[in-house]
Amino acid sequence: MVAIANAHNDLIHDAVLDYYGKRLATCSSDKTIKIFEVEGETHKEVATLEGHDGPVWRVDWAHPKFGTILASCSYDGKVLIWKEENGRWSQIACHAVHSASVNSVQWAPHEYGALLLAASSDGKVSVVEFKENGTLTPIIIDAHNIGVNSASWAPATLQENKPTKSPEESRRFVTGGADNLVKIWKYNNESQTYLLEDTLQGHSDWVRDVAWSPSVLLRSYIASVSQDKTCIIWTQENNDSSWKKTELQKERFPDVLWRASWSLSGNILALSGGDNKVTLWKENLEGNWEPAGEVEQ
Amino acid sequence: MVKLAEYSRTATFAWSQDKIPYIVTGTASGTIAADFSNDSTLELWSLLSDPKKDPTPVASITTDARFKDLDWSFDNKFIAGALDDNGKIELFSKEENDTKISLKSLGKFKKHTTAVNTLRFNPKQQNVLASAGNNGEILIWDINKTLSSTDYSPSAPGIAMSTQDEIKSVSWNKSLAHVFASAGDTTTYASIWDLKAKKEVIHLNYTSPKTGLKPNLAVVEWHPKVTTYVATASGSDSDPVILIWDLRNSNMPMTTLEGPHTKGIMSLDWCTKDESLLLSSGRDGIVALWDTKANEVSTTYPTRSQWCFKTKFAPENPDIFASAGFDGQINVNTLQDLTNSQDSQTQADTNKESESEFWNHVSTSTPLEKPTVSKIHAPNWYGNRSPAAQWAFGGKLVKISKDGKGVEIVKPKVQGMECNLKLNE
Repeated sequence: MVAIANAHNDLIHDAVLDYYGKRLATCSSDKTIKIFEVEGETHKEVATLEGHDGPVWRVDWAHPKFGTILASCSYDGKVLIWKEENGRWSQIACHAVHSASVNSVQWAPHEYGALLLAASSDGKVSVVEFKENGTLTPIIIDAHNIGVNSASWAPATLQENKPTKSPEESRRFVTGGADNLVKIWKYNNESQTYLLEDTLQGHSDWVRDVAWSPSVLLRSYIASVSQDKTCIIWTQENNDSSWKKTELQKERFPDVLWRASWSLSGNILALSGGDNKVTLWKENLEGNWEPAGEVEQ
Repeated sequence: MVKLAEYSRTATFAWSQDKIPYIVTGTASGTIAADFSNDSTLELWSLLSDPKKDPTPVASITTDARFKDLDWSFDNKFIAGALDDNGKIELFSKEENDTKISLKSLGKFKKHTTAVNTLRFNPKQQNVLASAGNNGEILIWDINKTLSSTDYSPSAPGIAMSTQDEIKSVSWNKSLAHVFASAGDTTTYASIWDLKAKKEVIHLNYTSPKTGLKPNLAVVEWHPKVTTYVATASGSDSDPVILIWDLRNSNMPMTTLEGPHTKGIMSLDWCTKDESLLLSSGRDGIVALWDTKANEVSTTYPTRSQWCFKTKFAPENPDIFASAGFDGQINVNTLQDLTNSQDSQTQADTNKESESEFWNHVSTSTPLEKPTVSKIHAPNWYGNRSPAAQWAFGGKLVKISKDGKGVEIVKPKVQGMECNLKLNE
């Protein structure tokens, strides 16, 4: 167990470990990002990244094959890309295509290249590819009226049964918005953009977070959590049937649910709520979701 | 998105109390339509309409008279309109049958002896409405009784401390259902009324230390949480200040907000979801967002060409606000609107245009007007406010600590999953 007290001067909104579990990135309302090195039970602050003009909502580590690279997004409408080289951190790119708060940022499965997905309160999501020659080619999509709160990539799947399709056409992601909807998007080669594949209705208030399970199974799992104090698990068989809706539990949670995270293997879902609790959930053999414990303080 | 919608109407408006709100607009009185018609309509708009198409109302009805003000009750049941028709108010409702949405008039009521300028529903007692007009006339209505009984008469709030003049603004206390404030364009004071005591209990007035004059306190608005805080705004072109008072010391304001306004202020709105946000708009066409914690302006929106007489947050989704002006437009905007590289791209494109292309575009394109952001201030409904937990390799869970300022990395034990956790090592 590692505990880092008073890492920031103001509220921390996100904390993420890198691929190897050695580096921790945190971001806060104090407009900064901090990098900690974590070794066993010890930790050391190694950098404070300054560059955003507003609260920083989320951070995400790129796959290590691209280097030590971190993306961050902020209320200032920007996505910044940071890189460490020889122990020194610097800002290497600024992705400023949104006109309002960027609420989530996530790197695509590394098989797709250095591809970043950002969701903004301006109602759009953007997918930007960082190419070898330094150019950026953003694809911008009108996703949700009144704002997008979160976006999450589907894992890279091998579609052996559909050999004719180009590999790009298996790229999918999910978005959750202030219109209470969850939407599924899929790349279309012909139009060179992501097209709406499905609209999932079930929440009665803002969708705060969506998380596509990274486990590569025949069945896809998406968790969506909302201001309406519920969590819905959406499942799809074989990547092409319709989505099935399962309420995680019938009764509402005591408070707003803010964040959903799938374990990297085994499909254990961690939910974070406004009541300061983190609860864990797993699916039983009957396909129902049951509590798998609570994370102690 | 940013500018979510633009309705080409010279109209006053009110928001519904929905998360994805409706907006109702009513033709404003005292203006001349482009076709010189005297028609008046009440129209309902949905923000879910396709932003790329010209907006069309989802429902509409014709009314006999134009509107001086509109308000929507907190239980969403009633829309009240102050008619420009010798002291009449009209009540409406939004009806939904299957998929069809319509507006319905519930009746017109003439109890005021002169014009009604403004009306407001009570946030606590949702059937109570205050309406106010000329000669200091204020009436307190029980809507249920108004609609059920033909001989119902609304009541007066009680004894005034001095002769009241034209009243243009009323605001209910957000917690005490029996307390409200009133103010007018022609008076140098704002009044606080207590319906239990049946009288005006406090008289607010202010002498500017700069000019030595008493500006007209034209607008009042209660603080969303603190029962003793009230904001007033000056309608005076020479001294357009916003004053925040603590009624426990009503001799002088607690805070004076001065900023972008160059002419009298006509509207205020205090955000109920984040009390550090206050909107103002005025005769200078300026709409400003204030940070009432730091006591400074945080954003100044693009100036309108005419008086901007009403500016209000969507109550349940205050990321959105609407402002109505005599320039013939109601604009629905988001609080935040940043310049981004796409705009500069558009700018670069115009530089490449030929002379004829330029003159073809210049008349049709709208200028890229952006708000001036003096200070980035994120509303409190943004950002994660939980001990956000995320899984990492090795069955580790990274979570933010309870106080929100620290981080913990833990390895939770999940029953029946021990083997899997081992696999992760």
